[in-house]
Amino acid sequence: MSSVVRIAKEEWRQWLRSRLAVLSLIVFTLLLLFTTALTMLDAQEARHERLHQQEQAEETFLDQPDRHPHRMVHYVFRAPPPLAIFDPGVDAVTGQSLFLEGHRQNSAMFADARAEARTGGFGALTPAKLYFLFLPLLIIALGHGVVLREREARTLGPLLSQGVSGVRLYLGKFLALGVLLGLLSLPALFSSFAASLSGESLLAGMALYTGTLIYLGIWAALTLLVSISARSRGLALGILSAVWVVTVLVIPRIGVTSASATLPTEGKILTDMRMNDDLRKLGDGHNAADPAFAQLRANLLAQYDVDSVEELPVNFRGMVASKSEEKLTETLNRYAEKRMTREEAQAAHLSAYSWISPYLAIGGASRNLAGTDLHTHHRFLREAEALRYDFVQGLNKAHIEQLSYEDDMNRNNGEEGWKKARIDAANWQVLNDFRFTPDLAADRLDRAASKLLALLLWFVGLMGLGIITARRLAP
Amino acid sequence: MIREIKFMLRDKAVWVWLSLAFIFSITAVSLGLNEISQQRAEIAELKQLDQIERDVTLSDQSDWGAAAYYTFHLTYDPPSDFAFAALGQRDVNPWKHRIRMLALEGQIYETDANNPDFALIGRFDFAFIASLIAPLLVILLLFDLRSGEHVAGRLRLIEASAGNPKKLWFMRASLRIGALAFALCVPVLIGGLMSGAAITTLFFCIVAVCLYLFFWTVLTLWFTPAKRTAAYNLTIMLGIWLFLCAVIPATLTQAISRFVPLPDGGEIVLTQREAVNDAWDLPKEASYTPFLERHPEWADYTAWDAANGFEWKWYYAFQQVGDQRAEMLSEAYRKGQARRDELATWSSLISPATLLQRAMESLAGTDMRSAMSYEQSVRDFHAGLRAWYYPKMFKSEEFNADWAKDALPDFNPKIKLQAQGSFSK
Repeated sequence: MSSVVRIAKEEWRQWLRSRLAVLSLIVFTLLLLFTTALTMLDAQEARHERLHQQEQAEETFLDQPDRHPHRMVHYVFRAPPPLAIFDPGVDAVTGQSLFLEGHRQNSAMFADARAEARTGGFGALTPAKLYFLFLPLLIIALGHGVVLREREARTLGPLLSQGVSGVRLYLGKFLALGVLLGLLSLPALFSSFAASLSGESLLAGMALYTGTLIYLGIWAALTLLVSISARSRGLALGILSAVWVVTVLVIPRIGVTSASATLPTEGKILTDMRMNDDLRKLGDGHNAADPAFAQLRANLLAQYDVDSVEELPVNFRGMVASKSEEKLTETLNRYAEKRMTREEAQAAHLSAYSWISPYLAIGGASRNLAGTDLHTHHRFLREAEALRYDFVQGLNKAHIEQLSYEDDMNRNNGEEGWKKARIDAANWQVLNDFRFTPDLAADRLDRAASKLLALLLWFVGLMGLGIITARRLAP
Repeated sequence: MIREIKFMLRDKAVWVWLSLAFIFSITAVSLGLNEISQQRAEIAELKQLDQIERDVTLSDQSDWGAAAYYTFHLTYDPPSDFAFAALGQRDVNPWKHRIRMLALEGQIYETDANNPDFALIGRFDFAFIASLIAPLLVILLLFDLRSGEHVAGRLRLIEASAGNPKKLWFMRASLRIGALAFALCVPVLIGGLMSGAAITTLFFCIVAVCLYLFFWTVLTLWFTPAKRTAAYNLTIMLGIWLFLCAVIPATLTQAISRFVPLPDGGEIVLTQREAVNDAWDLPKEASYTPFLERHPEWADYTAWDAANGFEWKWYYAFQQVGDQRAEMLSEAYRKGQARRDELATWSSLISPATLLQRAMESLAGTDMRSAMSYEQSVRDFHAGLRAWYYPKMFKSEEFNADWAKDALPDFNPKIKLQAQGSFSK
């Protein structure tokens, strides 16, 4: 048996003899299992519920009786992607349903976070949070002594003089930690497989799992490096805890502040003021008499060679609605795109901090890979907007072609007029089905690539430093 | 005593933790002050723009209906002088709205959605430092206090030379934690004095932080006996920290959310919007009937000109009907929020981190109650706006832009206090 394996086995024997190590392993394993199971149940329940709500919303839309085309509204829901069972990401803070209606772009308004009881702490526990935020603490607690223990018990000298090189000792200890991480990562592996059963590509799941392993490996390598270099356990624990506090708790939050200070987003009110200015110039699509549509009226009258809008073969009110929807959407989209571009820039600024905080790197990569990141949320907004525009314009087309201008104008004139101002329910078929799916795994991997690279460099760097230090190891 | 202080100051680790605490606290306080001054500047700028825009828009109008349609009114919840220490709800719930006389339920849920990545990671404010990082610092300062002496073989000697060993350890611990409290609180005290926070607020904040640190001190001394190794003690304490600061608060939030389900917020908006959208194409009686149930005083004024397809008074009547339709849902939503908040208050009795966080937010006026009372003040203001415009529209009073500029109701953030009173009834 190679000395590396023997050293690793000996380390495990030490851990298993320590009641504390066993206890903390058990507690952590239970915590991981519970969280994995609960998050999985939650995510799957949410997934089913939202798919169901989506189907229901579509059914309701199609089941509408004959009515005026302007009365149709719709809902879209974003079902969590399969890997949300590991990392629900921005889901909790964005709101997952979007209300679609004519001449208006709504935001996903009701985020869970807004109405949640505030209890402090770190928010809901998820497997991702446990692995990225808290598992390093266990690695530090169990691993800081792996070499120091030998040094303190004066067994380091005999070991080295027996011909076990420092490097082999290092590798043996790393193997022991590696096996520990391998075991602790099993729930994450399970999540990846479970996700692939509900349609996730194995590539994304495996990349996420590998990223998690590398991240935990960084902490193992760091812990080992400190254990080799430090002269006392107190010092080693102090250094490692400080590194944990700074890279996991402090830098990410400083990064957020710095991103929002360097690239501030304009408040909604200011944007609305500007947008209202722009929109006023476009005219009110409800009011066909608005002077903004004079040009349209003149063109149509000329085109059909008639004298008044009443004589037009098409419904002028519908034309106005359609034209104004087009212009309005253009303006709304311009502002929405500006905002999303800014948010992407902020995210890029924040992810630059990944190079000094592996926690930020793995957090970002994990959301990218799980399809629960900012980018995916933006795509949801864009796709929902495209759906909205399509059905609104489809209905406006029906309004133009199938509802006479006269009936339309008399719609508020008593029961009779109201009943006439309708179009056939067959027109509701303009609605497309909406099923939001995550990006292709390859695209997600591409987005996560730079962060995974940062993680890999950290890992290789720390391992290299560790081996160099181990080579010069002296009792 | 002096000797003990000298002892403590000779320990390099103590210096490291205390300076980290000091740096964190200074950073958090200055970031918080910066954020608050930005919010104040934004409010000031918006107030000015709002006034200018309203005056300009009013001059362009020729009737009351259009005036009410095109003029917006800024409402805002100014940050308190202590908000820099705990930004709390101001990150999640809106603290400024620009509303007009249209259906309120369609406007009041709009919010400045921040970058979701940011909300996910969270802020670096003093409340975060005090409730989550400070306990770690207490642990790191104390876990090796006795076991370290034990390993060095001095434990017996020290305990024997002191009259009362318990008293000695307590004094040593108190010195360290006192220094920690000092390092944490001095920046917040200075920041508070700079921003003009009330002395009593600062006093309560410092007392709360000290009590919290004291709690963690007792806990740490209890769970770190001298005969255990430092590593053992630290592992145990990190586990306790994990439970008290992460697992329990997360479990409480989950449990409360399950216990008090809220109506789907989207339903509120859907109901309101469908009512308003439908009204455009419904006979006018359909809107006036429910409207007159609330406002019988206008029953004699709803006649309309048959030649005119559109009348403002009808338009605003169906806007109000939209709000009426959504009223039940909206109230249920707010009641649920209040109930959840109430349960969180009770549950914080078993979770010290929650207790401190909530105490700070309450001192800073950034808790759920403040957010809800701001919302109530916006609702009250909107109701006032309706009360002001209705007579002018229904009685077809003559439009006068210059008079309106001064006579229009003004939002006064001080109403918030009264609104709070009326809500708690």
